[in-house]
Amino acid sequence: MKTFLLNSALILSSALMVAPSFAHDPAEHAKTAEAPDCDAMKKMDHSKMDMNDPVMQALMKKCSAKSAVSDPHKGMEGMDHEKMEGMNHGDMEGMDKSKSTSSESHEGHSAH
Amino acid sequence: MKTIKWIILLSVAALAVAYAYVNAGLYPIGADVPHNKATYWLLETLRERSIARAAAEIDVPDLNDSQLLLSGGPDYNDMCAQCHLKPGRTQSDMSIGLYPSPPNLSLPLDNKTNSARRQFWIIKHGIKASGMPAWGPTHDDQRIWAMVAFIQKLPSLTPEQYQILTTRGEGESTHH
Repeated sequence: MKTFLLNSALILSSALMVAPSFAHDPAEHAKTAEAPDCDAMKKMDHSKMDMNDPVMQALMKKCSAKSAVSDPHKGMEGMDHEKMEGMNHGDMEGMDKSKSTSSESHEGHSAH
Repeated sequence: MKTIKWIILLSVAALAVAYAYVNAGLYPIGADVPHNKATYWLLETLRERSIARAAAEIDVPDLNDSQLLLSGGPDYNDMCAQCHLKPGRTQSDMSIGLYPSPPNLSLPLDNKTNSARRQFWIIKHGIKASGMPAWGPTHDDQRIWAMVAFIQKLPSLTPEQYQILTTRGEGESTHH
Protein backbone atom coordinates (compact mmCIF):
# COMPACT_ATOMS: atom_id res chain seq x y z
CA MET A 1 0.00 0.00 0.00
CA LYS A 2 2.86 2.36 0.91
CA THR A 3 4.57 1.58 -2.41
CA PHE A 4 1.34 2.30 -4.25
CA LEU A 5 0.93 5.67 -2.53
CA LEU A 6 4.58 6.55 -3.16
CA ASN A 7 4.30 5.62 -6.84
CA SER A 8 1.09 7.62 -7.19
CA ALA A 9 2.68 10.69 -5.62
CA LEU A 10 5.72 10.38 -7.90
CA ILE A 11 3.58 10.02 -11.03
CA LEU A 12 1.39 12.97 -10.04
CA SER A 13 4.33 15.25 -9.26
CA SER A 14 6.07 14.26 -12.51
CA ALA A 15 2.92 15.01 -14.47
CA LEU A 16 2.60 18.43 -12.84
CA MET A 17 6.26 19.24 -13.55
CA VAL A 18 6.04 18.48 -17.27
CA ALA A 19 2.54 19.93 -17.75
CA PRO A 20 3.70 23.41 -18.92
CA SER A 21 5.71 21.81 -21.72
CA PHE A 22 2.45 20.61 -23.28
CA ALA A 23 1.50 24.21 -24.04
CA HIS A 24 1.54 25.26 -27.66
CA ASP A 25 5.00 26.82 -27.92
CA PRO A 26 5.35 29.51 -30.65
CA ALA A 27 9.06 28.71 -30.99
CA GLU A 28 8.18 25.25 -32.35
CA HIS A 29 6.42 26.85 -35.29
CA ALA A 30 9.01 29.56 -35.95
CA LYS A 31 11.45 27.07 -37.48
CA THR A 32 9.02 25.93 -40.15
CA ALA A 33 6.98 29.11 -40.55
CA GLU A 34 6.71 30.82 -43.92
CA ALA A 35 8.11 34.33 -44.24
CA PRO A 36 5.81 37.36 -44.31
CA ASP A 37 5.19 38.51 -47.87
CA CYS A 38 6.10 42.16 -47.31
CA ASP A 39 6.31 42.83 -51.05
CA ALA A 40 2.50 42.67 -50.99
CA MET A 41 2.54 45.82 -48.82
CA LYS A 42 3.88 47.81 -51.75
CA LYS A 43 0.88 46.84 -53.87
CA MET A 44 -1.62 48.02 -51.25
CA ASP A 45 -3.56 51.25 -51.67
CA HIS A 46 -1.59 53.51 -49.34
CA SER A 47 -4.07 56.35 -49.66
CA LYS A 48 -6.44 54.27 -47.53
CA MET A 49 -3.85 53.45 -44.88
CA ASP A 50 -4.23 55.04 -41.47
CA MET A 51 -1.07 54.86 -39.39
CA ASN A 52 -3.14 55.22 -36.23
CA ASP A 53 -4.79 51.89 -37.04
CA PRO A 54 -3.25 49.04 -34.96
CA VAL A 55 -3.44 46.78 -38.03
CA MET A 56 -1.25 49.13 -40.04
CA GLN A 57 1.13 49.55 -37.13
CA ALA A 58 1.39 45.77 -36.77
CA LEU A 59 2.06 45.35 -40.50
CA MET A 60 4.80 47.97 -40.38
CA LYS A 61 6.40 46.38 -37.31
CA LYS A 62 6.29 42.95 -38.88
CA CYS A 63 7.86 44.05 -42.15
CA SER A 64 10.41 46.26 -40.41
CA ALA A 65 11.43 43.31 -38.25
CA LYS A 66 11.61 41.06 -41.29
CA SER A 67 13.76 43.44 -43.31
CA ALA A 68 16.07 43.99 -40.33
CA VAL A 69 16.61 40.23 -40.02
CA SER A 70 16.81 39.26 -43.68
CA ASP A 71 18.36 42.35 -45.26
CA PRO A 72 19.20 45.41 -43.17
CA HIS A 73 19.43 47.57 -46.31
CA LYS A 74 16.02 46.59 -47.66
CA GLY A 75 12.87 47.86 -46.02
CA MET A 76 9.79 49.86 -46.89
CA GLU A 77 11.57 52.25 -49.24
CA GLY A 78 9.33 51.17 -52.12
CA MET A 79 6.29 52.65 -50.42
CA ASP A 80 4.85 56.08 -50.97
CA HIS A 81 4.64 57.31 -47.38
CA GLU A 82 3.23 60.66 -48.53
CA LYS A 83 -0.10 58.92 -48.98
CA MET A 84 -0.27 57.44 -45.50
CA GLU A 85 -2.59 59.10 -43.03
CA GLY A 86 -1.30 59.92 -39.57
CA MET A 87 2.36 59.89 -40.61
CA ASN A 88 4.36 62.76 -39.11
CA HIS A 89 6.77 63.58 -41.90
CA GLY A 90 8.24 66.48 -39.93
CA ASP A 91 9.94 63.96 -37.67
CA MET A 92 11.61 62.29 -40.62
CA GLU A 93 13.06 65.29 -42.45
CA GLY A 94 16.19 65.59 -40.35
CA MET A 95 16.88 61.91 -40.46
CA ASP A 96 20.28 60.91 -41.85
CA LYS A 97 19.51 57.53 -43.40
CA SER A 98 23.15 56.72 -43.95
CA LYS A 99 23.70 56.74 -40.19
CA SER A 100 20.67 54.68 -39.23
CA THR A 101 19.90 51.00 -39.60
CA SER A 102 16.74 49.97 -41.38
CA SER A 103 14.97 48.97 -38.18
CA GLU A 104 15.84 52.25 -36.46
CA SER A 105 14.64 54.31 -39.38
CA HIS A 106 11.27 52.58 -39.23
CA GLU A 107 10.66 52.83 -35.53
CA GLY A 108 8.98 56.15 -36.13
CA HIS A 109 6.38 54.36 -38.24
CA SER A 110 5.43 51.90 -35.56
CA ALA A 111 5.30 54.51 -32.85
CA HIS A 112 2.33 56.24 -34.46
CA MET B 1 -57.58 14.99 -7.30
CA LYS B 2 -58.26 12.77 -10.28
CA THR B 3 -56.69 15.37 -12.61
CA ILE B 4 -53.51 15.53 -10.55
CA LYS B 5 -53.23 11.75 -10.67
CA TRP B 6 -53.50 11.84 -14.48
CA ILE B 7 -50.88 14.59 -14.77
CA ILE B 8 -48.44 12.63 -12.63
CA LEU B 9 -49.16 9.43 -14.55
CA LEU B 10 -48.64 11.12 -17.94
CA SER B 11 -45.43 12.83 -16.76
CA VAL B 12 -44.00 9.54 -15.56
CA ALA B 13 -45.00 7.89 -18.84
CA ALA B 14 -43.38 10.70 -20.87
CA LEU B 15 -40.16 10.40 -18.88
CA ALA B 16 -40.18 6.61 -19.36
CA VAL B 17 -40.64 6.99 -23.12
CA ALA B 18 -37.84 9.59 -23.30
CA TYR B 19 -35.55 7.35 -21.24
CA ALA B 20 -36.34 4.36 -23.46
CA TYR B 21 -35.71 6.45 -26.62
CA VAL B 22 -32.32 7.62 -25.38
CA ASN B 23 -31.30 4.14 -24.26
CA ALA B 24 -32.43 2.52 -27.49
CA GLY B 25 -29.83 4.58 -29.40
CA LEU B 26 -32.41 5.79 -31.88
CA TYR B 27 -31.26 9.42 -31.96
CA PRO B 28 -29.00 10.06 -34.99
CA ILE B 29 -25.83 11.35 -33.32
CA GLY B 30 -23.70 11.56 -36.50
CA ALA B 31 -22.45 15.06 -37.35
CA ASP B 32 -23.71 14.63 -40.92
CA VAL B 33 -27.37 14.53 -39.79
CA PRO B 34 -28.63 17.89 -38.45
CA HIS B 35 -30.51 18.10 -35.14
CA ASN B 36 -34.26 18.42 -35.31
CA LYS B 37 -35.52 21.93 -34.59
CA ALA B 38 -36.46 21.25 -30.97
CA THR B 39 -33.06 19.74 -30.10
CA TYR B 40 -31.23 22.49 -31.95
CA TRP B 41 -33.17 25.19 -30.12
CA LEU B 42 -32.60 23.47 -26.77
CA LEU B 43 -28.84 23.09 -27.26
CA GLU B 44 -28.35 26.54 -28.75
CA THR B 45 -30.32 28.23 -25.97
CA LEU B 46 -28.44 26.22 -23.36
CA ARG B 47 -25.10 27.23 -24.92
CA GLU B 48 -25.87 30.90 -25.41
CA ARG B 49 -27.44 31.45 -21.98
CA SER B 50 -24.59 29.63 -20.28
CA ILE B 51 -21.89 31.65 -22.09
CA ALA B 52 -23.70 34.96 -21.53
CA ARG B 53 -23.98 34.32 -17.80
CA ALA B 54 -20.41 33.04 -17.40
CA ALA B 55 -18.81 35.83 -19.48
CA ALA B 56 -20.82 38.73 -18.08
CA GLU B 57 -18.27 39.71 -15.43
CA ILE B 58 -15.14 39.52 -17.60
CA ASP B 59 -13.20 42.80 -17.82
CA VAL B 60 -12.04 43.50 -21.37
CA PRO B 61 -8.57 45.11 -21.66
CA ASP B 62 -7.62 47.61 -24.37
CA LEU B 63 -7.39 45.49 -27.51
CA ASN B 64 -6.29 48.26 -29.89
CA ASP B 65 -2.65 47.33 -29.58
CA SER B 66 -0.52 46.32 -32.56
CA GLN B 67 1.62 44.05 -30.38
CA LEU B 68 -1.48 42.02 -29.45
CA LEU B 69 -2.21 41.55 -33.15
CA LEU B 70 1.34 40.34 -33.77
CA SER B 71 1.02 37.83 -30.93
CA GLY B 72 -2.54 36.75 -31.67
CA GLY B 73 -2.23 36.45 -35.44
CA PRO B 74 0.14 33.45 -35.56
CA ASP B 75 -1.80 31.71 -32.79
CA TYR B 76 -5.07 32.21 -34.67
CA ASN B 77 -3.49 30.78 -37.81
CA ASP B 78 -2.14 27.73 -35.96
CA MET B 79 -5.12 27.01 -33.74
CA CYS B 80 -8.29 28.48 -35.25
CA ALA B 81 -8.06 29.08 -39.00
CA GLN B 82 -8.66 25.44 -39.96
CA CYS B 83 -12.22 25.66 -38.63
CA HIS B 84 -12.95 29.40 -38.43
CA LEU B 85 -11.30 30.19 -41.77
CA LYS B 86 -9.36 33.24 -42.94
CA PRO B 87 -9.71 36.06 -45.50
CA GLY B 88 -10.13 34.67 -48.99
CA ARG B 89 -11.19 31.21 -47.80
CA THR B 90 -14.88 30.35 -47.55
CA GLN B 91 -14.67 26.73 -46.43
CA SER B 92 -12.36 23.94 -45.33
CA ASP B 93 -12.70 20.24 -44.62
CA MET B 94 -13.16 21.10 -40.94
CA SER B 95 -15.72 23.85 -41.48
CA ILE B 96 -17.74 21.56 -43.73
CA GLY B 97 -17.48 18.50 -41.51
CA LEU B 98 -18.12 19.98 -38.08
CA TYR B 99 -21.66 20.22 -36.72
CA PRO B 100 -22.75 22.73 -35.65
CA SER B 101 -20.77 24.53 -38.33
CA PRO B 102 -18.10 26.81 -36.77
CA PRO B 103 -18.66 30.51 -37.49
CA ASN B 104 -16.55 32.04 -40.25
CA LEU B 105 -14.66 34.64 -38.21
CA SER B 106 -13.21 36.34 -41.29
CA LEU B 107 -16.67 37.70 -42.11
CA PRO B 108 -18.33 40.61 -40.26
CA LEU B 109 -20.17 39.21 -37.24
CA ASP B 110 -23.22 40.40 -35.37
CA ASN B 111 -22.66 42.29 -32.13
CA LYS B 112 -23.36 39.29 -29.93
CA THR B 113 -20.97 36.93 -31.74
CA ASN B 114 -18.36 39.66 -32.01
CA SER B 115 -18.36 40.41 -28.27
CA ALA B 116 -14.77 40.33 -27.01
CA ARG B 117 -15.66 38.92 -23.59
CA ARG B 118 -17.74 36.15 -25.22
CA GLN B 119 -14.87 35.25 -27.57
CA PHE B 120 -12.41 35.25 -24.66
CA TRP B 121 -14.61 32.94 -22.60
CA ILE B 122 -15.16 30.51 -25.48
CA ILE B 123 -11.45 30.34 -26.37
CA LYS B 124 -10.49 29.80 -22.75
CA HIS B 125 -13.16 27.27 -21.76
CA GLY B 126 -14.27 25.70 -25.05
CA ILE B 127 -17.77 24.34 -25.69
CA LYS B 128 -18.80 20.81 -24.88
CA ALA B 129 -19.66 18.47 -27.78
CA SER B 130 -19.08 21.13 -30.42
CA GLY B 131 -15.48 20.54 -31.48
CA MET B 132 -14.39 23.78 -29.77
CA PRO B 133 -11.51 22.94 -27.40
CA ALA B 134 -10.64 24.76 -24.17
CA TRP B 135 -7.33 26.56 -24.72
CA GLY B 136 -7.20 27.84 -21.14
CA PRO B 137 -5.30 24.87 -19.68
CA THR B 138 -2.36 25.46 -22.05
CA HIS B 139 -2.54 29.20 -22.83
CA ASP B 140 -2.51 32.07 -20.36
CA ASP B 141 -5.05 34.90 -20.36
CA GLN B 142 -2.72 37.39 -22.07
CA ARG B 143 -2.20 35.05 -24.99
CA ILE B 144 -5.94 34.43 -25.28
CA TRP B 145 -6.68 38.18 -25.22
CA ALA B 146 -4.15 38.58 -28.06
CA MET B 147 -6.17 36.08 -30.09
CA VAL B 148 -9.36 37.98 -29.29
CA ALA B 149 -7.72 41.25 -30.41
CA PHE B 150 -6.76 39.59 -33.69
CA ILE B 151 -10.23 38.11 -34.21
CA GLN B 152 -11.77 41.54 -33.66
CA LYS B 153 -9.74 42.89 -36.60
CA LEU B 154 -9.94 39.77 -38.76
CA PRO B 155 -12.99 40.76 -40.87
CA SER B 156 -11.20 43.93 -41.99
CA LEU B 157 -8.03 42.14 -43.16
CA THR B 158 -7.17 41.36 -46.76
CA PRO B 159 -5.58 37.97 -47.55
CA GLU B 160 -2.22 39.75 -47.98
CA GLN B 161 -2.45 41.50 -44.61
CA TYR B 162 -3.51 38.23 -43.00
CA GLN B 163 -0.48 36.46 -44.44
CA ILE B 164 1.91 39.07 -43.06
CA LEU B 165 0.34 39.25 -39.60
CA THR B 166 0.10 35.49 -39.07
CA THR B 167 3.63 34.44 -39.97
CA ARG B 168 5.89 33.45 -37.13
CA GLY B 169 9.26 34.52 -38.46
CA GLU B 170 12.64 33.77 -36.95
CA GLY B 171 14.35 36.56 -35.07
CA GLU B 172 11.01 37.98 -34.07
CA SER B 173 9.91 38.43 -30.49
CA THR B 174 6.85 36.37 -29.63
CA HIS B 175 6.23 38.18 -26.33
CA HIS B 176 4.88 35.10 -24.57
